[in-house]
Amino acid sequence: MEQILLTGIFMFALFFLLGSGVWVGLSLLGVALIGMELFTNRPAGDAMITTIWTSSSSWTLTALPLFIWMGEILFRTRLSEDMFRGLAPWMANLPGRLLHSNIVGCAVFAAVSGSSAATVTTVGKMSIPELRRRGYPERMIIGTLAGAGTLGLLIPPSLTLIVYGVTINESITKLFIAGVVPGIVLAMLFMGYVAGWSFVRKSEVPPPEPKMSFGEKIRESRFLIPVMLLVVSVIGSMFLGWATATEAASFGVVGSLVLAAAQGSLNRETFLTSLMGAVRTSAMIALILAGASFLSLSMGFTGLPRALAEFIATLQLSPVALIVALTLFYIVIGCFLDGISSVVLTMAVVEPMIRQAGIDVIWFGIFIVVVVEMAQITPPIGFNLFVLQGMTEHQINYIALAALPLFLLMVVMVGLLVAFPELALWLPEQVRDAPGG
Amino acid sequence: MRDRLVTAGRLIRPVLDALYNASGVLAAIALLAILVIIVAQMVARWTAVSFPGGTDYAGYAMASASFFAFSYALNHGSHIRVSLFLQRLGGGKRRAAELWCYGVGGFLASYFAWFAIKAVRVSYKLNDISQGQDATPLWIPQMVMAIGTLIFAVALVDRFVCIVFGAPITPEHEGSDRAHAE
Repeated sequence: MEQILLTGIFMFALFFLLGSGVWVGLSLLGVALIGMELFTNRPAGDAMITTIWTSSSSWTLTALPLFIWMGEILFRTRLSEDMFRGLAPWMANLPGRLLHSNIVGCAVFAAVSGSSAATVTTVGKMSIPELRRRGYPERMIIGTLAGAGTLGLLIPPSLTLIVYGVTINESITKLFIAGVVPGIVLAMLFMGYVAGWSFVRKSEVPPPEPKMSFGEKIRESRFLIPVMLLVVSVIGSMFLGWATATEAASFGVVGSLVLAAAQGSLNRETFLTSLMGAVRTSAMIALILAGASFLSLSMGFTGLPRALAEFIATLQLSPVALIVALTLFYIVIGCFLDGISSVVLTMAVVEPMIRQAGIDVIWFGIFIVVVVEMAQITPPIGFNLFVLQGMTEHQINYIALAALPLFLLMVVMVGLLVAFPELALWLPEQVRDAPGG
Repeated sequence: MRDRLVTAGRLIRPVLDALYNASGVLAAIALLAILVIIVAQMVARWTAVSFPGGTDYAGYAMASASFFAFSYALNHGSHIRVSLFLQRLGGGKRRAAELWCYGVGGFLASYFAWFAIKAVRVSYKLNDISQGQDATPLWIPQMVMAIGTLIFAVALVDRFVCIVFGAPITPEHEGSDRAHAE
């Protein structure tokens, strides 16, 4: 009985601190402290410092600020213009025409940036006005952009996957590589949707673009090719085992500095703003991770994760039923918390549960990212919705409705992941081990 | 009395702002250091030169980049919070809620800083050495955590005091930075 009361206080404190607007990282720290005081006699303060110091000074974590910085540098180049110009000629003959450049553009930018909102901003800055000028329906422009923007979380480098990997101590390289195939499949699903739309609503499709020869197409995308090469070498070096995630990230930073310099968009100001932007974003995530590492220690003492895992085991749920339940759980959490916070907050409890159920943790990482992506395009706080609202001045509800078909495709994606776990698991098995771990 | 405090506050203001910015600059230098260390480590591997302790140094630089940036990020509204409830409040209620947040935050950060300082003293006294190949005395890198969180605590308490004295609640420009993390 006492145990239940204490657990009740603990959970109440968690929701109260988070809900009242205390910064997520500090809320987690506070709840963890309360947990330590309630459930053990250990000196809470010293345990806190040891845990947080170990997690904050970890070498694995260094991939995080580096990948953020790489995205920040490329974000400030001319990439957005080059992206549309370079992609449009290749998409013009597909059914659904230039709308595909939204999706492919997002997939490409997702591969240089770990963030989905930055993806939406960069691609949309150029493609929204260009597509509007050509008379594509607004609903389709906004919907495809909102949906495809979420690829930023799935296609490596993905900040959410780094955070997940650090939280459960799994190889970030493996997680990154695991995201590649599902990312491509999801992009194909989105493109299939655009193609389907062009057949069903023939009258909405604008007239074709003027024809271009192969040489002209290449010339139009000459600025995009170096970026593609950078992407391929960053991901490829990890896949071939030449570099760890951190090393690939530092290669990415150097490569994007060189690209920016070659384009003439690198100067003192852009260098410093990209660096300081990366410092702030990485500190924001580091504070959450610091709080979360202490919380997971404290959670261990509460016995809550173990009890919950045992409870789930007694329910004799099939893994599929468990996954359905967790999907709903994360969609609800996603209504209140951002992706990274919801991953770190729940992993202390969910990890024992999935290990007990025999679910592969790499697979689960991809699953959780797809589900968290869905939350990005659902109200009330879907983040991509806010970004698009800022860019287009449409109502949130209009944007959410435009993105609804893509949301449903993500549900299909979760189904595919469950039905064919190899989608996420086959490629990582082919990864060679990097030297020096 | 109140006037005197306000005058004192005006005098300290530039000092504190300079402190937060300096802290941010240190964090940026640490981020550059991470890049340099990792690149040096790769070059060392290719040229078969040994660079013992590189991973540990990168870890210390990571901790510096995080802890020094906490206060800087706070002042730019980069730290994530659930603002669903806060946004619905207006006027006095909003101020009270913000005071609660900065109060709780200030307390927790101070608690953290207190024990971080204690950890540095203990490591120094016991002459704790890193387990890694670098064999650094641990109190040196841990000092970063102590100083960084102390400045973070000061920044939170600073905002708390400002709001008590009627400073406007800084506009929510949280979207700008969050956009890069999601």
